[in-house]
Amino acid sequence: MIVPMSETVLEVVNIRKSYGKTVALDGVSLRVVAGELFGLLGPNGAGKTTLLSILCGLCEANSGEVRLFGQIFNRTRRDLRRLVGIGTQDLSIYPDLTARENLRFFGRLYGLAGKPLEARVDEVLASVGLTDRADDRVGTFSGGMKRRLNLAAAIIHEPQILFLDEPTTGVDPQSRNHIFSQVKALNRAGLTVIYTSHYMEEVQELCERIAILDGGQVRACDTLPNLLKLLDARVRVGLATDVPGFEDRLARLPGAKSVHPIAGGYEVVTDFVPQLLPLVLALCAELGLRITTIDLREPTLERVFLHLTGRELRD
Amino acid sequence: MATLTLAAKDLRLLLRDARSAIILLITPLLLILVLGLALGEGFGEKPDERLRISVVNLDRGLSKYDGFPEKPWSEVVIDDLSATPDIRIELIKDRAEAEKLIARGSRAAVLVFEPDFSADMSRCSFLTRADPPPINPFDRDGVRLRELGLAVLKDPTQPVTASIIEQVTQVTMLRVLIPWMIGRAFERVGDKTFMEAVAAKLRDESIPPSVLQELDPVVQKLLTALFADKEFLAMLDKQFGLLAGTIKGQVPKFQQLIHEAFKKPELMARIGKGIGLGEVMTPAVRDEVGPRVRDEVQELLSNYDFRAKTWAGLNKDRMRSGNMANRSEYKDTSGSGFLNRGAVRYQILVPSFTVLFMFFLVLSVGWLFVAERKHGTLLRLRVAPLTRAQILMGKLLPCLMVSLAQGVFLFTAGWLLFGLTWGSRPDLLLLVVSCTSVAAVGLAVLVASIARTETQVAVYGTLLVLVLGGVSGSLMPRDLMPEKMKSVSLVTPQAWALDAYAQLLGNPSPNVVLILGACGILLGFGVVFTLIAWWRMDLE
Repeated sequence: MIVPMSETVLEVVNIRKSYGKTVALDGVSLRVVAGELFGLLGPNGAGKTTLLSILCGLCEANSGEVRLFGQIFNRTRRDLRRLVGIGTQDLSIYPDLTARENLRFFGRLYGLAGKPLEARVDEVLASVGLTDRADDRVGTFSGGMKRRLNLAAAIIHEPQILFLDEPTTGVDPQSRNHIFSQVKALNRAGLTVIYTSHYMEEVQELCERIAILDGGQVRACDTLPNLLKLLDARVRVGLATDVPGFEDRLARLPGAKSVHPIAGGYEVVTDFVPQLLPLVLALCAELGLRITTIDLREPTLERVFLHLTGRELRD
Repeated sequence: MATLTLAAKDLRLLLRDARSAIILLITPLLLILVLGLALGEGFGEKPDERLRISVVNLDRGLSKYDGFPEKPWSEVVIDDLSATPDIRIELIKDRAEAEKLIARGSRAAVLVFEPDFSADMSRCSFLTRADPPPINPFDRDGVRLRELGLAVLKDPTQPVTASIIEQVTQVTMLRVLIPWMIGRAFERVGDKTFMEAVAAKLRDESIPPSVLQELDPVVQKLLTALFADKEFLAMLDKQFGLLAGTIKGQVPKFQQLIHEAFKKPELMARIGKGIGLGEVMTPAVRDEVGPRVRDEVQELLSNYDFRAKTWAGLNKDRMRSGNMANRSEYKDTSGSGFLNRGAVRYQILVPSFTVLFMFFLVLSVGWLFVAERKHGTLLRLRVAPLTRAQILMGKLLPCLMVSLAQGVFLFTAGWLLFGLTWGSRPDLLLLVVSCTSVAAVGLAVLVASIARTETQVAVYGTLLVLVLGGVSGSLMPRDLMPEKMKSVSLVTPQAWALDAYAQLLGNPSPNVVLILGACGILLGFGVVFTLIAWWRMDLE
């Protein structure tokens, strides 16, 4: 199935899921377009894995609807499952089989066979950098190599949409970078990727759009710049001396939204630090004020998360 | 296709699992080997409280059978022994085998009927003279067995048992010999030879006067009858003519004169002097008198039948014939070589441990399922475009193949290593192995559906298999179990499998209906176990 870019491939409408009295998902709605690298950010227990389980057909929502490629998706839709790949949070490969045997097995489950299968296995092994170890048992691999093979198993059947659930958990930096580049390459090749993580740096680096999930609800869903705009930037200037009227002059600078006196200086609130900072420095020079400290506080995803949820991401 | 893919993967994993190979293949073989070496000859045979009398019968029998006995004397003796319910006869084919059994202490005593036993028995008689010369089989200790060609081989290390067997033999021989000898002797009473001997004895003795005097009435009757007879009177007329009338007229006086003469002892002594008493016992008299004498003696001792020649007949008791069920051919069940190859105990050990360890499949299968969860691959299978049935079938198929291979391997190894015989129906043996595999795989997936960790699999699985093995009789011969326990054990699939194997490996003519029934029940167990597992198993 060739899905045109910008066409919606995944639509989640008001999903609710609870386990007994515990509400895991509380009215989650999302929309992912073809070719997007979509981030699902949230702390442990936010409902990411539950949401992913529903999206992969592992369990059913109590209410709401999942549409995959425009069709309602549930556990019985084996035809749609063929279009889905999943890189699980925990490894899901056989340690007593070789890397090649693992990939052959998962390829066959999705209907690949013969020479196309062998070619695909070789291709995927090369893409995750495991060609040299293809015929070694996975049990002898390092954690990072297993993670890479886990990703290879998820894409062996060339899915249309790939769910990656915390794919870098417990891996070394080298394998992490390898996985990153692999994910990016897959996305560049047109694969839609839903990437869940509780590492903001990963999501920031990889994802075009990010949904922040907390307490089973989507707190925000937008591009990174737009999410960052939810918070103001702050420029803190420490001064050795002060002059009357300096606070008013700061407030009148273009881009300055407000000025607050702080101990030994002032804090200027702005939308865009690069525009404001030169102007602040020029004003100080003009008035002969000696600057003791400059402290720039730009909005980060972490601060956005704190702003939206009221708690740190790694709480 | 997906099912086969899953099955091939699991089969590969199972084959790479050294732990399973040790449990399923190596351990049972080692146990069979150790027990095969350690257990005694009678292992697995139901205890028989009857006294075993082992016999080597080399008796050539008689050249012809005319009346009694109708078969070789050795058979008569064996029949008498086997007619006793508490005795069982074991027939050993030759003396060398018997001597070997005695030498290794396997038998306390063995009776050997020598080739001339029948001939010697036929010569046993109370008579002093006969042709061939008679044998007196008795002495103060009873029957002189060796004189009759009945040897008793004894193990000197088992004197008590050997003595019991010898005494039992003595009693039997007395029961056989005494009526035979009495019967033979009694046949002689009053027979022609006997009466001739009597007549000969009396021939030289003069008739005593008293005997002649007692003959007076007989002579008188004879004379009266003679002169009343027309033919005699005609003969008289012809011989004497006119004098005949005179003679007839004097007959009363003549009879009176004879009567007077018989009254005189001296006269009788004189006239009887030249006449032997035996002369009176003419052949015709002997023929008339002999049988009557014999009948009269029999009548006199009518509680017994001296002509019967059998113990029951002599005592006029109910005849007890030999019980063929109490006879059996000796089979060497001890095996040969270091491994005791061919020993009958392997016919029990191999199927018992095969059944027991086929059900140890629960461990391998359980670990396979646990590993699937532990490695997270079950999740990937659930995400893949597979049905629940495909996933379960993908597990069942390789397990079934492994189980079948295990059964075939153990029976083949049993044949090669331990000389196990596959019975008369190896085709049915394969069927039973297959049905047992189905039941074992069913139980294995049931355990796998319950256990969540490797430890749970090991604990639940081992406990279950050992308990079921104990209840079913896999750990001990089923024949040794009390009947009630045997019935209870049929709640286990192992018991049905063992019963089927017992038919196939222990019965020369196996009961096919019983075997097919057991196979049906094993399949039933497999289906029920699998359905419960299907219901319980968290595959989605």
